[in-house]
Amino acid sequence: MSMLRNIVGGASKDLRSKLTAHAVGIAFMAILFAIFIAAIGGRREDLRESDWGIERYLDIRDFDFGNPVDRALFRETLERFYPGQSGRSDSLIRAIDDLRQRRFSDPRYKVGSDRQGLTWEIVGKLLPMYLQFLTVYVLVLVIIYLAAQRIALYRFVKMKQYRESDLEQAYQCAKAVHSWRDAKSVRSALPTIVVLIAKALIQGALVVLLFSPAYVIAYSLKTSVDTSSLLFMIFLGIVSNGVLIHTANRLFGLLVSESRKGYVQTAIVKNLHSSYEWNTPDGISLRSLLGLRQGFKAHVFHHIYLNARFQFIPALKEHAAFLITGLVIIEMALNIQGQLCYELLQQILYRQYDVVAMVVLGIFFAVKATEIVIDIWHDRQKRQYGY
Amino acid sequence: MNERRYNIHIAAGGRELVAIDDFRLTESSLTVLLGESGIGKSLIARAIAGLLDPDELDVQIDSRPYTEYLKRQETLEIRRDGFFVFQEPSSHLNPLMKLREQLDEGSLAAAPDDKQFLGRLWRDATESQIRNILEVYPKPYRPSGGEKQRILAAMAFKKISTLDDAAPGTLFVFDEPTGNLDDKLRNEFLDLLAENMKNRRITVLLITHDYSLIGRLTRSYQAIAKRIVFEELVLHRGKLGLRRFEPEEYLSWLEERRAATRAPVKRESVVTLKSGPRVFGRTLIFSSDPNGQRQVPFEVRRGSLTYLKAPSGTGKTTVVKMMMGLVKPEHMSMSLGDATYTEHTPRRTWQKQVWGRRMTMVFQHADEALNQNAKVRDVFAGLPSSRFHNDDTLRQALSEFFDLESDFLEKPVKHLSGGQKQRLNLLRCLTLETDLVIMDEPLNGLDFSTAVKVLKQIEERLQAGRSVLVISHNEEIFDALVPSENVYYLTASV
Amino acid sequence: MTDKRDNMATSTPVGNQWLRGLYRRKDALWLAIWLGGLLTLWVWNMFFLNTPALWRIQKAFFNSLLTGSMVVVLAVGLGWITGVMLHMLERGEWKGVYFVASFLTNLLRSIPQIIVVLIGYIALTILLAREVIHSSFMQLLWIASTIAVAVFLEVADTVRARIEYFRTLDFVDAMLCCGISESRIINIEILWRNSRSHLLHKMIALFGVSTFLQCSIDFIISVGLSTDVSLSNFPLTLGSLLARLDSKQDILAVSNLFSDPGYLPVLFVRHLQGLSVAFCIVFTLLCIYNIANGYVRRHRIA
Repeated sequence: MSMLRNIVGGASKDLRSKLTAHAVGIAFMAILFAIFIAAIGGRREDLRESDWGIERYLDIRDFDFGNPVDRALFRETLERFYPGQSGRSDSLIRAIDDLRQRRFSDPRYKVGSDRQGLTWEIVGKLLPMYLQFLTVYVLVLVIIYLAAQRIALYRFVKMKQYRESDLEQAYQCAKAVHSWRDAKSVRSALPTIVVLIAKALIQGALVVLLFSPAYVIAYSLKTSVDTSSLLFMIFLGIVSNGVLIHTANRLFGLLVSESRKGYVQTAIVKNLHSSYEWNTPDGISLRSLLGLRQGFKAHVFHHIYLNARFQFIPALKEHAAFLITGLVIIEMALNIQGQLCYELLQQILYRQYDVVAMVVLGIFFAVKATEIVIDIWHDRQKRQYGY
Repeated sequence: MNERRYNIHIAAGGRELVAIDDFRLTESSLTVLLGESGIGKSLIARAIAGLLDPDELDVQIDSRPYTEYLKRQETLEIRRDGFFVFQEPSSHLNPLMKLREQLDEGSLAAAPDDKQFLGRLWRDATESQIRNILEVYPKPYRPSGGEKQRILAAMAFKKISTLDDAAPGTLFVFDEPTGNLDDKLRNEFLDLLAENMKNRRITVLLITHDYSLIGRLTRSYQAIAKRIVFEELVLHRGKLGLRRFEPEEYLSWLEERRAATRAPVKRESVVTLKSGPRVFGRTLIFSSDPNGQRQVPFEVRRGSLTYLKAPSGTGKTTVVKMMMGLVKPEHMSMSLGDATYTEHTPRRTWQKQVWGRRMTMVFQHADEALNQNAKVRDVFAGLPSSRFHNDDTLRQALSEFFDLESDFLEKPVKHLSGGQKQRLNLLRCLTLETDLVIMDEPLNGLDFSTAVKVLKQIEERLQAGRSVLVISHNEEIFDALVPSENVYYLTASV
Repeated sequence: MTDKRDNMATSTPVGNQWLRGLYRRKDALWLAIWLGGLLTLWVWNMFFLNTPALWRIQKAFFNSLLTGSMVVVLAVGLGWITGVMLHMLERGEWKGVYFVASFLTNLLRSIPQIIVVLIGYIALTILLAREVIHSSFMQLLWIASTIAVAVFLEVADTVRARIEYFRTLDFVDAMLCCGISESRIINIEILWRNSRSHLLHKMIALFGVSTFLQCSIDFIISVGLSTDVSLSNFPLTLGSLLARLDSKQDILAVSNLFSDPGYLPVLFVRHLQGLSVAFCIVFTLLCIYNIANGYVRRHRIA
């Protein structure tokens, strides 16, 4: 409570208005969904009531509505009891036929089905799945945030080293071979060329892995790995669907655009270190880059990193929402029972739209919670830097 | 004094930006580099100082690749011992580091105490006030543009103070260091520069299009008078060249203008703004004297040139934007002919009655005011009651300001020089049939000969009965042109 | 190792001027790689894949491409209008309407894209069951519209960001003072003349996102979204083709490599349907990403 008071009390006007908007949004959606769920539930009740009125006709002993003789007898009986109301009789017979059809095809009427809409039993069943979903989400988000930072920084420093790529080096090596008929020069150049090409292929394979949709990776490994395990799901959440690479790319883009700004030039003329070689006195320490507390004091990169990271934090909202999309896809596509989104798909199939609405609302809350946390974090950063 | 000569070619994406065969830099001198904006002065200076990125630009110096130039001993010395004060102070300070920290990092950490420089550059402030300024993280509006410019200048002076016996190669570049400073502060800056040059043989390159520096520099610094060189970068028939600029050219013109000032004719008022409008929490006072003693309503009369003066940061640009209805004041009462405009006037009224119809405004930076991706012809599209029914009428209007090439109308604005852009910026507003044209720094970015042409154009319009209101830090020039009755002073109080 | 800027001429691995130019323009290079890769795949399949499967892949690819293109067009149109409308409402006197519109768009932003698309597919199954929609094209248009609704706010954000950027400069004020109308300033001067490359970059990125969403959702609904409508009602797309049993079997065969690396050549001549579809999807996503990145770097958009 005191932490909440600290956050809200110390919050800037901008943050307070954002938090208010979030709260209103959550309340609005909760009310909207509650109305929707109540309407579905009400309609189901009406349906049950109306169905019950008709069901008793189907339960008449020794009576078969599929038999034309029994149907004609039924019709005559109706006319005897309700003379002159042939319209009423016709609609009753149609309703009975409709119910027979639904009983035949609609899974909700199957024996043993628990598709009875939103009940406490269903809520109790879904709650642990939801908590598991949230846990996986938070874990994957944190890992992606940490990994994406390092990947982006590493990529930026490599770019600033202006080295030729492995393929370019292989090409240069091949060009430098005096004659391809000369076995000696070929023997000396070939191992280098092969190693460089192999490095490029491995990097390429890694990039392809990072871009692949989860279901492609999962089905490729299905017979060798237990794809229903939680650990595998976390692995997929991190590496698949392009989430990691897009997040890293966002920070990389910010680093590049900040590196072009004027204050970097001022830092250069103040003779801050501007070399990007690894582990040299005026270069970048790899350990510092990969370590948990990154700092590049006395280096131009410190200026760039500070500003890029400041803008990266609010951009995380977008990537977090995309991550949730990815996790939903993973759970649905892998068809693993006991997962929230697989269950969601089942509820859609059996038209339990009130349950669907509940699950969607839960996912919406997860996104909103992320947005709130990021807004608070960004606001603290802004206050720290005098905004 | 020795001269260094450079052959410099700079291109980007296959398009040539700068090509000069013989750029001269006199060692141990104060070289004042004049010329219209966008012509390449900053790029040349950065190239020589070793600050361009060979990955972004295709640079060759003396027909060698730039990566080779960067490895030269003299370049390394410039990078190690010299300094570069960049043009736009806002973007050259890190918004996420305190100013104090930025003043003390890198090679500036070795400098002796900077109180002396800061004290001179903030003459009217106490030590604790200066300390407070330095404790902020620089943001767009805090500290002001002038203060940020002084911070960058202080960095340069700190660097100079670390040098005992500078080698002649040490280059210090100041790119438009006085753009945001009023006359007093500008003079303080020049005094500091002259003092630092007196006992040191550093080479200083001062890039500016503020011609009013010329008077101060030629009159006031006898100790370094022989070391001051005026050069002008000019574009002639598509080729960039450097020519010696004679200060007499400007000074004699100025004398002529002073002598030619006409006695004002009292005409009716076109615009009257009652003194005391309130905007952004400050009350603005107009007076006819620099000390703000004689409060008067602000009036612009028909066919007259009016000059509004104030120290930088007071709010001159805010006032004119308020007069144009671009900024909503807390309180204002302005008469424009028979109509009155106040803080309650809706935006739609400004749009329908005032903008481009009764008043218009020429903004300071032509790069921002014009659409760089539009063609010259498109600049005049969409204007209300356009006089240009066809290309011929448009060409005729353009010929007042430009030497027209055959495909001039089809040229993208971004391919024009800085001076051409500023002229286009002016012309767009001058072609509108408005009662009043407000001009914010109209001579910005122009070289001397073009500035003279533009002033002549303004005079012609005045004679035709149009009114012009000017804001400018070229006080020397406009003090010579504007009768004292049409000069107003602005002060602000909280 | 040398600094490759020292000699840009030899740092590119090809000697020909045109190819060198292409190599430097990474967006054009990756576009060429994408088209070349797909062409190579098509030629390979012509030799090694049975005709019915090849036709299925071609049809699926065409449908996915068509849907992606429709998404881009719809999203840009909707995003442009929304962005401009929100700006006008904010600047105008309709503050209440602006508040409501802004609130609703922020709500939509908080709903994961996949959920929005899923809702659209549920609605499609209902429309199919009631026979409101018949033709394949209309189904694809509905799917494209749904995905466009999930992604158009990215375009709206780009539009607003560009307008805001120019508003901080003297650009807008200078034109207003000359009597140029605000709608002309926004639509022509800012968006058309100064933001085309930003919008084109966004379109490229959206094509990638829509391909991803489309393939994913088509794959997912292979378990079915309705008992009244079967998958055979839906047009064939890359995602739904990948979800077929025979394609899944082909993908499963990849794990054979772990126990038998010598199986690799066999993969290239058998199991082609599934592998080709998976390749199309992954390769397209990779190339779109690189085209978008190359475009950004070349035009210095970010």
